[in-house]
Amino acid sequence: MNTISDGRPGEKRLMQGNDAFARGALEAGLAVAAGYPGTPSSEIVENLARVSRERNIYVEWSVNEKVAMEVAAAASFAGLRSAAIMKQVGVNVAADFMLHLSETGTRGGMILISCEDPGALSSGNEGESRPFAKLFEVPLIEPADFQEAKDMTKWAFELSEEIRNLVMIRSVTRLSHASGNVVLGELPAETPAARFEHKGDFMDPDKGYMVPFPVHFRHLQMQKKLRKAVSIFEDCPFNSYEGPEAPEVLIVTSSAGYLYSKEAIQLLGVEGRVGLLKMGTTWPLPPKFMEKYLSTSPVIYTVEEVLPFLEDNVKILAAELAGRIGVKTFHGRSDGTLPSVNELNPDLVAAGLSKILSLEYTAMAPAYAEIAQAAGATAAPARDLAFCAGCPHRSSLWTIHNVLEMDGREGFLCGDIGCYTLGVMATGYGTLKTVHAMGSGTGLASGFGKLKQFGMDQPVLSVCGDSTFFHAVMPALVNAIHNQADMTLVVLDNSGTAMTGFQPHPGSEEDAAGNAVPALDIAEIAKAMGAHVEQSDPFEVAATQNKLLSLLDKGGVNVFILKQGCALGPEKKGRKLFDVSVDEDVCFGENCGCNKLCTRVFKCPGLKWDPEKKTARIDDVICSGCGMCASICPSGAIQKKEIA
Amino acid sequence: MLIFGSKELVNDVIQRDLCIGCGMCMDICPYFKIYRGKSAMLFPCTLEQGPCNAHCPKTEVDLDGLCRFYWNEPYDGRPLGHFSGILAAKAGKQVKAGFQGGGTVSALIAYALEKKMVGGAILTGAEGIEPVARLVKKPEQVAASAGSKFIAAPTLSALNQAAREGERRLAVVGTPCQMTAVAQMRMNPLAREDFEDPVALTVGVFCNWALENRQLTAYLSERMDIAEITGMDIPPPPAEVLVVKTTTGEKQFPLKDIRKLIPHTCFICTDMTAEWTDVSVGMYEGRSGWNTLLVRTRTGAELVDKAVADGWLKTEAFPEANQKMLSNAALAKKERSFRHADRQGYLNQDDEESRPALRVPPEVLARFLG
Amino acid sequence: MTNQTLSADPFNLIITGVGGQGNVLASKLIGNMLADQGFYVTIGETFGASQRGGSVMSHLRISTKSSLSPQMPRGKAHAIVSLEPTEAIRVLQEYGNPEVKVISNTRPVYALEVISGEISYPSDEELKGWMQKLTGAYWLIDATDQAVKMGNPILGNVLLVGALAGIGDLPLTKEGFRKVMARTMPASKLDINLAAFDKGLAMIN
Repeated sequence: MNTISDGRPGEKRLMQGNDAFARGALEAGLAVAAGYPGTPSSEIVENLARVSRERNIYVEWSVNEKVAMEVAAAASFAGLRSAAIMKQVGVNVAADFMLHLSETGTRGGMILISCEDPGALSSGNEGESRPFAKLFEVPLIEPADFQEAKDMTKWAFELSEEIRNLVMIRSVTRLSHASGNVVLGELPAETPAARFEHKGDFMDPDKGYMVPFPVHFRHLQMQKKLRKAVSIFEDCPFNSYEGPEAPEVLIVTSSAGYLYSKEAIQLLGVEGRVGLLKMGTTWPLPPKFMEKYLSTSPVIYTVEEVLPFLEDNVKILAAELAGRIGVKTFHGRSDGTLPSVNELNPDLVAAGLSKILSLEYTAMAPAYAEIAQAAGATAAPARDLAFCAGCPHRSSLWTIHNVLEMDGREGFLCGDIGCYTLGVMATGYGTLKTVHAMGSGTGLASGFGKLKQFGMDQPVLSVCGDSTFFHAVMPALVNAIHNQADMTLVVLDNSGTAMTGFQPHPGSEEDAAGNAVPALDIAEIAKAMGAHVEQSDPFEVAATQNKLLSLLDKGGVNVFILKQGCALGPEKKGRKLFDVSVDEDVCFGENCGCNKLCTRVFKCPGLKWDPEKKTARIDDVICSGCGMCASICPSGAIQKKEIA
Repeated sequence: MLIFGSKELVNDVIQRDLCIGCGMCMDICPYFKIYRGKSAMLFPCTLEQGPCNAHCPKTEVDLDGLCRFYWNEPYDGRPLGHFSGILAAKAGKQVKAGFQGGGTVSALIAYALEKKMVGGAILTGAEGIEPVARLVKKPEQVAASAGSKFIAAPTLSALNQAAREGERRLAVVGTPCQMTAVAQMRMNPLAREDFEDPVALTVGVFCNWALENRQLTAYLSERMDIAEITGMDIPPPPAEVLVVKTTTGEKQFPLKDIRKLIPHTCFICTDMTAEWTDVSVGMYEGRSGWNTLLVRTRTGAELVDKAVADGWLKTEAFPEANQKMLSNAALAKKERSFRHADRQGYLNQDDEESRPALRVPPEVLARFLG
Repeated sequence: MTNQTLSADPFNLIITGVGGQGNVLASKLIGNMLADQGFYVTIGETFGASQRGGSVMSHLRISTKSSLSPQMPRGKAHAIVSLEPTEAIRVLQEYGNPEVKVISNTRPVYALEVISGEISYPSDEELKGWMQKLTGAYWLIDATDQAVKMGNPILGNVLLVGALAGIGDLPLTKEGFRKVMARTMPASKLDINLAAFDKGLAMIN
C-alpha cells in the first residue's frame, strides 16, 4: 500500500493535493504537525500521521486549531520544523495566537496551511483566511497545481527560517481534493534534536524570550521580516508569466484560478491576445516583478477564489506605480466580470474574458442544452443531503423533534458544526434552528437560557458532537453553568469526528498515529462542571424520549449524552446489527394509522416505497441494519432479527 | 356528518386551544401525541379524512346525528339527555372500600368484570397528579383507578390501544367529552367495512369542568411539593375548596383560584351528565356517600338491576326536588355554553378556514340563545 | 512522458454516482492506471458531502501535455461512467454533447424525495430515451446486481471500470489494473477484483 513516504526521488506519482502538501512537508524535514479536522484539510494530517512512526515525526489532532498552532509553534521554538494545518474557519480560531506568534517570530521553520472551501462545498461559509496574512504581517503563498503544492510547502519552511516568522500557505478544495502528477524529491535522513533556548538576552531571537514585548520594537521586527520576504519574492520561481509581450488583457491569478484561466484562454483560443501572470506569492506582492508585467497591458483581469484580495492589492500597487505603468482598467470579482460569490471554474473565467474581449462563447450548443435541461428536470431528481442509513443522528433528531413538539412550548434546538448540522434539513426534520461556528450552539443556548426575566418560557436546547464538545463547547457550557442559565445540551456522541472521516479526538482511546491514549469522559467532565447529566442510546426511542421530556422541565443546565457509534465508524461499517424486513401483509402503507411514516417522514435511505404493492420495502444494499425503522413502525410490519 | 383529517384537526382544535386531551386521537397513528394534557401533531399527515378528526369531541360534533343514531329522535337539547330512570346509588356490601363518594362507578365496573359482562374496562388512573389511561381486566384492580381526577385525562388512548390489540366488549368510563368521542367512534363515521365496535358498556361521569394539567401543576408546584400528592377532592358546597391529599396530610386551595385553571374548551361544553352513555353517575348533592345514577339504555338498566340483585349496588329512589336541581344545573351549563360557543363562532358556522365545534339544529339553538 | 496518443487530448472523463458508492476509489483507480503509462492526469473531486447521499462527481482530465483544470469546461465530456442512472442524466445536463459515451449502472439509489414519495423516479424507458437523445453511444449495465452476486456490491465500481476499458477509448488494460490494485489493495482482494474487471469488460464486448 502506498503512503506519502514511499517513492524514489524523481519518480512521478498521481497525488491528491493534500498528499502533495504532506509530502512537501516531509521532504522539508518536518518534525511536528498539528491540526484539527476540517474539509478540505484533513488528509494532510492523516497522511502525516500514517507515516509518523516510520519517519519519527510527531503528528497530532489537537483539541482545536488555536491549540494546534500553539503545539506547532512550540516545536518551532525548540528549533524544529513544524506545521499547523486547518480549514479556513480554523484560522479564525487560531487567529489570536497567530497575531502574537507573528510578534515573537519563529525559530525552526513554521508554516500554516489553510485549506479553504470556495463555494462552501462542505462548509457553512465561504470564509477567507488570506486577509489574516495582511492583518498579522506574515507572508502568504498560494500553490497553483499539485507539483507546486509539494514544492512550495518545502520552500515555505526555508522562507520561514530565512525571515524568522510564520509562513502561511493557502489551498482550496480544487487543489486539496484534486489530484495530479507530482515528481517526488528526497526525504531527509536525520531526525533533528529539540531544545528550547531561553537563557540568552531578552531580545535574542535564538536564545531570548518569546514574548511580544517591547511591542513597538517587535512590531518593527515583524515589518522588517515582511520586507525581507518581499525581496525574496521578487525572484521567486513560483511567480511566472506566459503569453505575448504586450497582451490586450493581463490575467493576474493565483491558486486554482491559474488552471481555470489557462483553460479559459484555450477555450476562447486567445493565446496570442491574453497574458497570464500566475502569482505564487500573493502577500506582500513583489512590486518590481509586478511592475514589469502590469506595464505590459492596459487591462488587468484578476482571477481568484472568494474575496478580491489579490485584486485589491494589485490595485493599490497599480495606484502607487501609476506614474510609470499608466492608468489601468480592472476586472474581476469586484466589478461583476466574475460573480462575487461561489467558486470559479473555467467556464466562468472564460465568460468573463469573452466579455472583456467582446467575444462570443458558447459552451454547449443551444439545441443540445435544451434537451439536456428537459432531461435533467424530469429524469434527475434532486438529491438533498441525508443522514446515512443507520445514522444515530437521525434517531436523535427524531426524538428531539418529537419531544419539542409534545412539550408544546415552542422549545428549540441551537445547532453546531458536524454531520448533525444537516438537522436543519428534512433528514433531521428541520429541528435545528441556529447554526454558526464551532461551539456556538451552546453559547447561544447559554444566552437564550437567561431570557426568562423577559418572559421567554421556551425550552432551550443545544446540540453538539463529541469532537465539537472538546473543541469549543466546554467554555460555553462552563459559562451556562456559572451564570445559571436554563438549558439542555444534547451531546451526540458517535465516537469520533465523523464528518471529516473519523479522526480521533480527546474522547478517543487512540491518537492520530494509533497509539493508546487516555480518553476523556464527557459525562464525567460535565458532572464535574456541575451539570445534571443523563445518558441514553438514541436507538432506544421510548427511553430517550422520556428522559428528554423530563429534562425539559428541569431548570439549570442539563447535559444529555446520546451515545451510539457512527454507522460508518470502524466498529460498525459493513456490519449489520439486525436483519430488517417488511411483512407486506401487515404494512399499513398509505392507510390511516401510518400513512408511510417510515418512507414519507422518517426517510431513511435504506427504505423504499413500492408504489405498486403500496408497502414499504428495505433496500438491502443500503440498509445498515440499525433496526430503528422497526422501532417506529406503527403496525409492526417492519421486523428486525438480531444477527448472531 | 362531515369528516375531515389531521390538518383540520390541528387548525380547528389544537390551534383554537379547544383540545381537552381526551386521548381519542392518540395511539391510532404515530402522528398525534398527548403529553401532560396537550396534544400535538408531530409530523403532518396528508390524508384528507381520519378518525383523529371524525372522533374528536371538539370539532364537527353533530348533536342531531348522535341523537338520531342513539335515540332515534332529533336532538332537542333536553337538560339531562335521554334516560329511562334516575336513582340514588352507592356501592353494595359486596364491594370492598377504596373509592370516592358513593363508589357507584367502581361497583358497576367491578361487577361487569366479575360477571364477564365485559372483557376489560378503560379507566383513568393517576401517577401523582398526572392522570393516566388504564385498561383493567380484573375486578380487584378497579379500586386503584377510583376517584375523580379533576384533570383532563388522555383515557381514550387506552381504548384505541386495546381495540388495536383486538379487545372487544370493553367498558369505558369517562367524562362527557370523552363519552362524546366514544359515541362518535361507535357510529363508524368513516364507514369502514372492517369496523367492529370494541365497546360493550359506557359509563359516564358528570362533569362541569376539568382543570388544565400544566397550569394546575404549575400552580401547585409553586405552593407545595407535588411529588407528595396522593389524591384530590372537591367537597360539596359550601366548602369552595380543592382538597389535595398528600403523604403528610391535606392541603386546601380556594376554588376561586382553582377555577382560573379551567381550560376555555370546558366553556363550550354543553353536556354535564355524559348524555351518550348506558349509565351516567355523579355526585348526590347534600347526601354524602351516595351518587346520582342516570340509567339511559337497556344495557344500562340490565347492569344496574343485576348488580343490585347480587348486592354489588344499592339503590334508592331519587327525590324529585333533587332531580329538578340537577336538571337546572345541567340546563344552566347548556345555556351558558351554547351562548359562549356561539359568541366564539364555534357553532354551525361554515367557512373556508375553519369548521364548527358543534352542529346544533338551528331551532334548538334559537331556544338557548333566546 | 509518454509516446502514446489519446483519442482526444485532453480526454475528459467523468465518474459520477451517489455518496458512499465508491466514486472516489473508481476515479483514483482509473487515474493511476493512466498515470502509470506516463499521462498527465488531473482529477477533480466533489466529495465534501459524499457520505450523506448527495451527488458525487469526479472529473478526470487525461493529457500528454500538462495538468489541467480539475473542473472540466461545460459540454466537454468524452465519456461518462455513472454508478447510478439518474446521475448520468444530471451530468449530461452540464457536460454532455452529442458525441459523448455513457456507461451507466442500472441500479437506482433513490433520492430522499423519491423515498418519501414527493417525486417519482424515472422509468427505465424514460432513462433510455434521454440517453438515446443525449449521447453518441451508451451502455446500461447491471453492475451492482452482478457485484452482489460476486459477494460485495462495492465491486460494481470495478465492473464499470472494466466496462470502460471495454469501450476502448482510453488505454486501460487488465495488466494496468492488476498493477494498481497490487499497490493499493490487500493481496487477498486481488482475485475478486480481477474477476469483476473481467466481468465488466465482457459486458461491453
